[in-house]
Amino acid sequence: MFRSLSPHYFSIEDIFATQERLPCKFVVPVHRLGFLDPSSESEDIAVGTSIELPFWLAQTLCSQRRNIVTVEIPKIYKEAYREILKADACVVDLHKFGLFFYEFGTYLSRLEHRDSAVIGSVLVQTFKERFRQVMDWAHNSGTDPAIIQRLDSLEKALFREGHQTRAQLDAWLNAGTGLITAAEMVVNHKKRKLAVLDDF
Amino acid sequence: MDPAEVEFLAENQMVSIVPNFNFERIYLISGDIGPFRAGLPVQVPIWMATNLRQRQKCRIIAPDWMDTERLEQVKEEESQSRYFTKMPSEHYMVEGHMLLGVAAEDIPHADEIRTILKDIWDMRMSKLRSSVDAFIKTGGSHAKLDHLTAMEINSIRPLLPHALDELYKLQKVVR
Repeated sequence: MFRSLSPHYFSIEDIFATQERLPCKFVVPVHRLGFLDPSSESEDIAVGTSIELPFWLAQTLCSQRRNIVTVEIPKIYKEAYREILKADACVVDLHKFGLFFYEFGTYLSRLEHRDSAVIGSVLVQTFKERFRQVMDWAHNSGTDPAIIQRLDSLEKALFREGHQTRAQLDAWLNAGTGLITAAEMVVNHKKRKLAVLDDF
Repeated sequence: MDPAEVEFLAENQMVSIVPNFNFERIYLISGDIGPFRAGLPVQVPIWMATNLRQRQKCRIIAPDWMDTERLEQVKEEESQSRYFTKMPSEHYMVEGHMLLGVAAEDIPHADEIRTILKDIWDMRMSKLRSSVDAFIKTGGSHAKLDHLTAMEINSIRPLLPHALDELYKLQKVVR
């Protein structure tokens, strides 16, 4: 499972995470982009309109130098939901909160906002508490598949790996040896070498 | 890593057999395997022992540690200690699995041994799971666990390092 260690241009998870929308309020009037706001009629975006923009757009627009919009944190990461997570992280249905809860949360906490640090620490806390549950589910081969719907995509990837390892281990314990085959790369390498020798 | 690969590594351990044929010394790259004389015990790697046994050419002698009293003692120690105790063999589970699978008649009290081994295995796996969970909860940067065998380490393998990677990524932002 390769997941990027820092914002990676080609990582699919990063692309999905930055696709999530944020409510942003425009600070300066922007001309001729009125079509971005489905409810407005004018051709320009007036000061103070609030539009949902994807994160990758909002991040460049809200930087200190340009200051075109101010971002608000989406409600999932606000005070009320943070309290729910602090109360008991294991019962929460993270899938409903947002498919890319952790990734999007890390991007949010990199924005300069007064709640950034708190969001970061809440994410860490939630992950630590939910890990036990994910591990238990993964190691129990009779897990109900419906129950993993409540996991975030990051937890789901970890769960899938753990589950697969467990299935392999159980298969070995019950049925005995498996078959170790040569890696594809080695087989192709040998074949190519033989072909080269044949030419001579 | 597959369990099959761990088993492959474990098969290299030596075990005693009593062949029923005569053969001279075999010279392998990793070492010699001594002359085979019918009726006299000789040390061979497990992969050779299981192969010969399947072809009915030898009788396998149980290793010293594969004895009910010895294993009961190990189980007692394991259940009383909070940490992992030293196992009689680096690959006890694999050896037990292979030898009991191939030569159950040659080993006395094979069923009891199988049950005791399974109990020890279950105890150690649950200890491992709870210590992994404690490790993540306290967010430690390193942990040291002694006397873990390869098969047990393999069971936690892609899950734990990846979870720690994710935790590191989440924590990097908080700083």
